[in-house]
Amino acid sequence: MIKFIWLKEVREELYTWKSTVWLLVASLLFSFTSYLLLTNKELSLLDQTELLWLLSKIIIGVGLLIVTIDASSTLAGEFEKDTAESLFLAPITPYEVVWGKIFYVVTLWLFVFLVSAPYILVTSASTHLTGAFLSYALLLGTLAVFGFSMLISAISLLFRSSKNTLSTALIILLALAVPALFSSTLKTNSVAELFGKINPIEAIFASLDNVLVDYHMRLPQNMQYLIPLLVFCAVAFAVLMISIRQFKRRGIVKDE
Amino acid sequence: MNNIKGIVAIILLFGGFFFAQAAFAKNVSGSDSLDITILSARNLNGIAGDYITIVGQITNHTKKPISDITTYLSMVDTENKLPVDLEDWSAEKGLYIGSIDAEQTLPLKWKIHFVKAGTYTLAVIANIAEQEKPIASSLTRFEVKPKKNLNPGQVLPVALGMPMLLLAFMAILQYRRSVKVSA
Repeated sequence: MIKFIWLKEVREELYTWKSTVWLLVASLLFSFTSYLLLTNKELSLLDQTELLWLLSKIIIGVGLLIVTIDASSTLAGEFEKDTAESLFLAPITPYEVVWGKIFYVVTLWLFVFLVSAPYILVTSASTHLTGAFLSYALLLGTLAVFGFSMLISAISLLFRSSKNTLSTALIILLALAVPALFSSTLKTNSVAELFGKINPIEAIFASLDNVLVDYHMRLPQNMQYLIPLLVFCAVAFAVLMISIRQFKRRGIVKDE
Repeated sequence: MNNIKGIVAIILLFGGFFFAQAAFAKNVSGSDSLDITILSARNLNGIAGDYITIVGQITNHTKKPISDITTYLSMVDTENKLPVDLEDWSAEKGLYIGSIDAEQTLPLKWKIHFVKAGTYTLAVIANIAEQEKPIASSLTRFEVKPKKNLNPGQVLPVALGMPMLLLAFMAILQYRRSVKVSA
């Protein structure tokens, strides 16, 4: 049944242009960025590894933004369009509905990654980093998207409103992404250091830096960055489970 | 006789002056107590993005140990006549030497990443806690040539082709949808 929901969502999103427009926007952003990186006088002086790191951050950042916006309306939209009642009264469990939607969101990220792949191949040509770039962008991006989609689904069940879910999800994304973009000199105090260690987005950027700039390509060399991401996924999973249980207890029609 | 006395007095006066000046200079700078020598090439050339290693050594010429020495790099952009912020050039900001024994020599090594094209001079500086003036090595000069990372022509087919491909994909989907609806 999860597969049915997942395929239904993929088909719906493709036929309503919504996701394909997102992919086109992502493609235009990647085109602009990669062309600028390779032709701009100042940026082209960057070491190629630095260039790849910058592009990898843009790919993951754009992917997370698209997924956050889309995931915020996928489940919450069912409540707003009054289709939630018929959906949840069908002989499927809320778990199946939610996981079907989550797998659709992960699929959307995979589409974004597929769109980004030619840019990765072109920019990393003549280096030995193509394979590492592709595999780490896929691994780290998929883990982050999986965690975010679980968290956003939990928020959707709680708020049952696209607007509230979207604003909350964007605040969470910005709260995690903005400190990750700070320079190292701004992260010298203990609070910033602690936040940096548990921040999944910072872990993604640090791991990409470790792979693309410092050439630490083996998985054990990146475990220190993968652990915060796995912990984030585990926390998001726990929040989702609590949210689904809460949803089942309160019922489809929310008490006013 | 008076002339000889006068000449001797002048010689003594100048001799004393030069001796005092030499002794003063030695005392203040301590330049012969520690010495930094660059062992790597004094003139280097490279392309932006290259890594080079600056190898040197620090020697304590005195008969007693010297402690609390901080060594660091100082780099100047000779085209723009400005010092360079080494943030991106070297991961190691400085090398701290707790103590260097009498007549001991310790190695110094810095990995430098050529970030921007230009001509530069670089010196290794040692800051000794007990002394007034730092000690500097001789200059290493290097010229960094710009690097074009990739041929921009390679990116154009992808940068233009991908959005076109997606637009075509969207058009096909729209066409299929309209055919289904009309059927």
